[in-house]
Amino acid sequence: MSLLFKGRDAQTSSQNKSWFLRCYFFMLTVFRQGINSLGEMWRTPMASLMTILVLGLSLTLPATLYIVVKNVQQVSSGFSDASEISLFVKESMSEQQTQTLAKRLALYPEIANVKLISKSQALDEFKRISGFGQALDYLEENPLPNVVLVTPTSRYRKPQAAQQLLDKLESEREVEFGKLDIEWLERLNALLSLLKESVVTIALLLLSAVILIIGNTIRLSIMDKKAEIQVLKLVGATNTFIHTPFIWTGVWYGIVGGLVAFICVAMMLWWLESAVSMVAGVYQSAFVLQGLNGNELMILLLLAVSLGFGGSFLSVHRYIKDIEPDKV
Amino acid sequence: MIKFDQVSKTYPGGHRALEKVSFELGNGELAFLTGHSGAGKSTLLKLISVMERPSAGHVFINGVDLNSVSNRQIPFVRRDIGIIFQNHRLLERYNVFDNVALPLVIEGMHHKHIAKRVNAALDKVGLLNKVRCQPNTLSGGEQQRVGIARAIVNSPPLLLADEPTGNLDPELSMEILKLFEDFNRHGTAVLIATHDLGLIARMKYRSLTLSHGRMSQDPLSEERL
Repeated sequence: MSLLFKGRDAQTSSQNKSWFLRCYFFMLTVFRQGINSLGEMWRTPMASLMTILVLGLSLTLPATLYIVVKNVQQVSSGFSDASEISLFVKESMSEQQTQTLAKRLALYPEIANVKLISKSQALDEFKRISGFGQALDYLEENPLPNVVLVTPTSRYRKPQAAQQLLDKLESEREVEFGKLDIEWLERLNALLSLLKESVVTIALLLLSAVILIIGNTIRLSIMDKKAEIQVLKLVGATNTFIHTPFIWTGVWYGIVGGLVAFICVAMMLWWLESAVSMVAGVYQSAFVLQGLNGNELMILLLLAVSLGFGGSFLSVHRYIKDIEPDKV
Repeated sequence: MIKFDQVSKTYPGGHRALEKVSFELGNGELAFLTGHSGAGKSTLLKLISVMERPSAGHVFINGVDLNSVSNRQIPFVRRDIGIIFQNHRLLERYNVFDNVALPLVIEGMHHKHIAKRVNAALDKVGLLNKVRCQPNTLSGGEQQRVGIARAIVNSPPLLLADEPTGNLDPELSMEILKLFEDFNRHGTAVLIATHDLGLIARMKYRSLTLSHGRMSQDPLSEERL
């Protein structure tokens, strides 16, 4: 595109090219600049590595918090779904009478499921989990009561309805008393939402830190290449041409930083897995620690890339403007 | 090719670099621009390459008023002007080939065409055997010639040179000037700023002399007036 000499177009590159071809060549140039800036990062490994690690670690923290929330949610959703009522059967009732009770309760329209845990079953379990083991053999008789676990239908799982159902069940002849743990569930949910809020806040803080870190790294790199930028401007490079490599550098930092964060999170999960499965075993839960799935990895990378882009974009537009060829 | 019409340039701070300068450089003409240090030679070249804007008056290139060129369009103006510097301004990180190829890469030329043109440009300045060298392994004269190759690689219709022989001995200077003469014979307009009066004397070309920001003797423009 010649501005001053109309006939000159014919001998330079953009000769008679369609709009599509020109677009294609533009993309090709941008792509080539991307590869070049990756190569450049490779040539200064120490500086790049430090920036990348800082980014990776800054992204690891919010990602970890996210995973914590996700897993706690998984656990608590397990709890709230069950919303079980434990009915402790009177000592005086025989095995037979307890079973009749269970059968009768199963017919209630408010109740979805009934499970009977006999005192001997309960004792076995207690032996296994509590660690008292053999010591319990010295007990002359089983001190544990028979328990009927009642799962209400979904309509009766809400705190108030569940409370009413509990009152009704407690009035049964065989039942000593019933227990409905609603309060701790509410507390857990409140804690969980607090945790979620703090994850968002911390994530926002750390992500702005990431933008600033990338912006500053790109600024240093711009200062470092001042002479080069001046020469580029002198031989007729457009701002886009000069900006693109720096933007790419930011984007690469984002991609690699995101991957570092992913690896950190994966390693941390691997480290914690055995401990978590032990805890889950104690709580008799089939809980499996969940990591980042494919979608979440994509989101993490996308986030990292856009932060890289944002940081470098800010720097590039702020600092390259000031570098003019005459100010040597 | 270049026309200055009552151009003045005052820098912020009040230094008057140019005062009501008027001259014209014809198509395919070669001229020297001389004057003592601080006479305004560099400022004049900066006005042509739009590194600076005039405080008053107009600069025309090929009939286009540079005042009408927006900042966004400046790169496209510079693509039509080959600029050569005293300190040659090569990029140390790249080899000779990449340095010379720079203007073509910027224009988005296909790499096959780039290689052909870069080799042609380096051939013209006699450095075809140094294609893969790093600039800092070359002598001063060679570096200057790489700078010239970069300026002519996209065959601009106009060449500006700011003290191109400043750091070179007379023999090398002569060689460089011969190169400019050669480009000029092929139709390129050349404007060379220099204070090397001996050099100018040996060559029969028009010379524009600046003194304290004023164009003092320009026989041709006087004739035209």
